[in-house]
Amino acid sequence: MHEYSVTKELVELCNREAKQNDIKDIQRVRITVGRFTGFSPEAIQFYFEYLCPGTRCENAKLIFSETPIKLLCRDCAQTSEIEQPVMVCPLCGGTNIEITSGREFYIESIEGE
Amino acid sequence: MKNVKVLKSVLVSNKERAAENRKFFDRIGAFVVNVIASPGAGKTSFIGSVVARLPKDYRVLVIEGDIRGQIDSERLAQLGIDVVQINTETACHLDAFMIAQVLPQINGPYDLILVENVGNLVCPAEFEIGEDHKLAVLSTTEGDDKPYKYPLLFHLAKVVVINKTDLLPHIDFDLKKARAGILQENPCALIYPVSSKTGDGYEAVIAHLVKELDASKKTHTS
Repeated sequence: MHEYSVTKELVELCNREAKQNDIKDIQRVRITVGRFTGFSPEAIQFYFEYLCPGTRCENAKLIFSETPIKLLCRDCAQTSEIEQPVMVCPLCGGTNIEITSGREFYIESIEGE
Repeated sequence: MKNVKVLKSVLVSNKERAAENRKFFDRIGAFVVNVIASPGAGKTSFIGSVVARLPKDYRVLVIEGDIRGQIDSERLAQLGIDVVQINTETACHLDAFMIAQVLPQINGPYDLILVENVGNLVCPAEFEIGEDHKLAVLSTTEGDDKPYKYPLLFHLAKVVVINKTDLLPHIDFDLKKARAGILQENPCALIYPVSSKTGDGYEAVIAHLVKELDASKKTHTS
């Protein structure tokens, strides 16, 4: 739903980084999207193609990596990886938890000439 | 072919802008609450009910976010509340940049700023705007499973107001189940069942806000 705004920020960041590193034509953008963000790669791809024309990202291909959802339980001090965003420690049932992985949305690298 | 490591968060610029907004709010001594809920849950009624009951020596401003129009702003202005309107035109949530754009319109000082976010249980939770905390409004007509279905908001919201308790005799909403669902996402959440229609439950909300405002004043003046 909000992939439009975040993809707009993504394109702007790509262009800024390309300018800073003297890359005129970005060929590949490696991005990491955490599972907890709920961002759909298809939607990001769609808006990326919509927003890129006329910018240094015009010919860029998006390459996605995903990070899993990990919880640190403050009750049992264990970290667990979970499939669904349910805030309960699968080991001890505790609810005093912190999300330590899964909320990422960052650009790993850009490649171009 | 150049390969440049970037390793930068895409949303960091929103976070940075939110931190700048925070500095502005600190300068004018305001405690800021980001009010988030589905369309029709009762955000505007909640805000109106709070301002009507808060002691008059607390100065309140509302930043009103809607896709278009001034319906809620006009409603609140008629109650004598200072309001600044943001029309997002397409965006389904407020972000730090949109808030930043209206800061010049704010002639402080204000003790409390209530930001009424665009009606949405999903996206507003993702975008910090410089608030002190998030407050979710869940209405009984939406179902008691919403905390389970919308984990991010209920994980982040410090306060959850359950509105429309006056309708409980007529609908299948299990208050115990909703509470349990909220506490599962955030064991520290403060939960206030209210009815904006009858005024029921607001004493506790006001007591909480007064406590937060007085604590905030101490931080700003020390």
